[in-house]
Amino acid sequence: MATTDTNLAGRSGHLVESHKSYQPRVIFFYFVMLVLLLTLAGGLAYQQLFKTEHHRDSERMQNQRRILVPGPRGNLYDRDGRLLVGNRPRFAVVLYLDELKSEFISEARIIRRNFAEAGDKDLPTRDQFNQLARVSVVQRYLDQVNRILRRDGTVDRVDLGRHFARELLLPYTLIDDLEPAAYARLVERLPVRSPLQVYASSTRYYPYGATLAHTLGYVGVENDIGAEDFPGEDLKTFRMKGTVGRDGLEKIFDAHLQGEAGGSIFRVSPAGYKINPPLEKRLPVQGKNLVTTIDLDLQRATEAAIAQIAGDGLVGSAVALDVRTGEVLVMASKPDYDLARFTPRPDHDTIADIEARQAWANRAISSAYPPGSTFKILTAIAAMRHGAIDPDEPIVDCQGTLRKFNRGFVCYNGKGHHGEVLLPDAIADSCDIYFYEAGWRATPEVLAAEARRFHLDQRTGIELPNETGRMLIPDAAYKDRVRGEKWFPGDTANMAIGQGDVLVTPLGMACFAASVARGELTTRPTLVHRPGAPRQQTESIGLNPRQRAALLAGLEGCVTHGTAAKTLALPDFQVPGVRFGGKTGTAQVPGKKNVAWFICFAPLEQPEIAVAVAIEGDTPNEEYGGGRYAAPIASTILRQYFHKQAHPAAFVTPIKPE
Amino acid sequence: MPPQRLDQARPFLTLAVVVLAWLLVPVVVQTFTRASFFELQAPLAVAASYARDLKDYWSLRLHTNSELIEAGRDLARLNASYEDSVAQNLSLQAEIGRLEELLRLPTYADYRAEHARVVRRDFSGWWQRLVIRKGANYGLPLGAPVIFSGGVVGRVTEVHAYTAVVELISNPGVRLAAVIEGETQPISFQGGINATFDPPKGVLEFVPLNVFASAAQPRRLVTSGLGGIFPPGLNLGTVTRVEPSLDGLYKNGEVLLDPRLSSLTEVTVLVPLHPE
Repeated sequence: MATTDTNLAGRSGHLVESHKSYQPRVIFFYFVMLVLLLTLAGGLAYQQLFKTEHHRDSERMQNQRRILVPGPRGNLYDRDGRLLVGNRPRFAVVLYLDELKSEFISEARIIRRNFAEAGDKDLPTRDQFNQLARVSVVQRYLDQVNRILRRDGTVDRVDLGRHFARELLLPYTLIDDLEPAAYARLVERLPVRSPLQVYASSTRYYPYGATLAHTLGYVGVENDIGAEDFPGEDLKTFRMKGTVGRDGLEKIFDAHLQGEAGGSIFRVSPAGYKINPPLEKRLPVQGKNLVTTIDLDLQRATEAAIAQIAGDGLVGSAVALDVRTGEVLVMASKPDYDLARFTPRPDHDTIADIEARQAWANRAISSAYPPGSTFKILTAIAAMRHGAIDPDEPIVDCQGTLRKFNRGFVCYNGKGHHGEVLLPDAIADSCDIYFYEAGWRATPEVLAAEARRFHLDQRTGIELPNETGRMLIPDAAYKDRVRGEKWFPGDTANMAIGQGDVLVTPLGMACFAASVARGELTTRPTLVHRPGAPRQQTESIGLNPRQRAALLAGLEGCVTHGTAAKTLALPDFQVPGVRFGGKTGTAQVPGKKNVAWFICFAPLEQPEIAVAVAIEGDTPNEEYGGGRYAAPIASTILRQYFHKQAHPAAFVTPIKPE
Repeated sequence: MPPQRLDQARPFLTLAVVVLAWLLVPVVVQTFTRASFFELQAPLAVAASYARDLKDYWSLRLHTNSELIEAGRDLARLNASYEDSVAQNLSLQAEIGRLEELLRLPTYADYRAEHARVVRRDFSGWWQRLVIRKGANYGLPLGAPVIFSGGVVGRVTEVHAYTAVVELISNPGVRLAAVIEGETQPISFQGGINATFDPPKGVLEFVPLNVFASAAQPRRLVTSGLGGIFPPGLNLGTVTRVEPSLDGLYKNGEVLLDPRLSSLTEVTVLVPLHPE
């Protein structure tokens, strides 16, 4: 026992720590600790002082989300301020999922408990529980809407899952494009403070359906809307669907019409739910309006005339220009499509129907046809300018056929013989043999050069997409290059009467008519109305007064006693009190449908309006006269134009848009 | 004597104890207490309104016999005038019925009118509502429209045994589908943020762009009837301002409501005869 005590005492002597205020061995660890602490402090200081921006950005990126809402597009008006394309509110009932977070959690808990109570061994995963809860809660709200609207709808699980994964901050649309009655019931019956709300967006509104469809164009869905000058470009952004112009003026003036997107920036919870109120908010602003040059009264009258005269199923187009400014007053193309069926988007049946009828094309600018006898105006100008013909001297004796260059050339116009006609009657009666001779005398090079002076081989540059570039003024070089053949006198004869390879568009011929009316070479068409726009002035054609008088006499003769006279003498197609000049044309497209042409301008003394009409025949190789089918449509436009000039009060002019 | 600090903390301790006790009370008891609170309180309000009626009665008893006789004569004249009016009303009602049928106008045949006296008016920045002296005892349903001679008053939001609470259309919590007289498109009307003594106002949303109204040229706002709760054509107020919204989609507007809404003593509850 004593030994034990001694041992303990001995050991305790070693166990008792003796305090020393200075312990050299610890200094090393102090140093290590100091270094570590300094490293930590330095790191902290570095992170706090030098990487502040980086961490602030990281925090922003993690906690903030941006929502962009497109601005409504600007409206389109006609020249009198009537709405052609506008916006209408589109109502939907939506569910703000971010307000249902607690409901989702408690529903998931209930579902999990039910599974547990049922003793189900094959329990779903946590994610599956959450998905079931979401569907269940959303269905509950949808049932509330179903009861109000007396309908029976179910939640699309896949769509909801996709929305939850990608667009949680955006409201989930339960029912879109509500009818006014449904909208009214929901407004009155849904609680004011509820995750269910009636949501208004905009969709295009076309008050006149198919009228001017090709020119106005349509819009498509744009998923990637932008918001200039709105902060948070680096943030994760949710975008409501916007619109983008797909055709017509909607496409060309998309930037002008496009609204300014609004948006908001929200702080979000770790689960991704937004926290109100927003940190930033900007309301969307409507795009700029566009006033077009179109005269709605003329346009509607033209389309009605095409349907009445040419028939609903036929193909054709009509263009009317203001001779002085080049403003397009009318641009009609048939067949067309109903723009009202494009909102919110065209269905498959609509698309299939349009394709079956080949109604997509705006034939005023995309169809290139031989101009037929309307080209004789150019042949006459070319021949006169180069001294090949004198308007007061007969150049040939038309006996129905002309034997020359070892072959016979037939005059297809007139049942009898034109005899030794002068230029005015040759134009009025459209004597082919006169113009064959005029073409030969002028030479094909001169004809081609004259056509190019009028820019008939070029696009007009109108503010519309898809203007064809297939217009063609052939010459010897062209024929050699394309077909490897020589140019024959028959080619010149064909060219002189607007046949063969000559191709022009209805808009091109309307510009040509306007140019001839002003005695100038070029008319630049435009669809943008600029009140008080100056008269267009370009290079003179170069005819002397006697030549011009003969040309105008021929054009007037066409409508008073020539090829268009018979139809235009009918009471329905007269243009009372107005002298005007025109030229018919019937173009044969071998193996294809024929085209009836009429171009004109009025009044003859001081031209204001120029018109070109081209209607395709419905039967291959059928005689399809411009005087019979196209001239009445043009005269309808002229009648309506001058009637409106004489009785402006009869046409209601609304308030001009801002 | 307890320390001063503890003495000062006594109210907070008491509150904490009460809150704790309330939290510990079973949920069923809590729910029952909350539900019965209004029922216990309601008789006081009803009794107060009866007391007011009694006060009016005794104030009338203080008039002299001559005054009463004169009042009696006035009343007799008034009665005669009313009897005449009743006779006229009968013929007018027949005429109205004929015209309604001719013009296919809506009638209120789908509703039973239940006239009720206002017990209490409760106006604040939070809500604007009335308590009326009829409730479940007269079969008033939740959500029923309430009207008066000037048009719509509001809708029933709470139904108790002997009373009901009517939320006024000047309350931001009330929203209904309206139309501007002469127009067809339904628009959303909602009560505005109304200060206690200000003239009541409401706000309009989704007004079509082609609708114009101003203080100089006000337009009448009526119920659309499309919502399924209010019959069509009931007066809501006067639209004194419409302005395009920033996004240019539609206009927003302001509606001046009937100032009598804040001094109503009698209202009529339209009880649907065939509830959905």
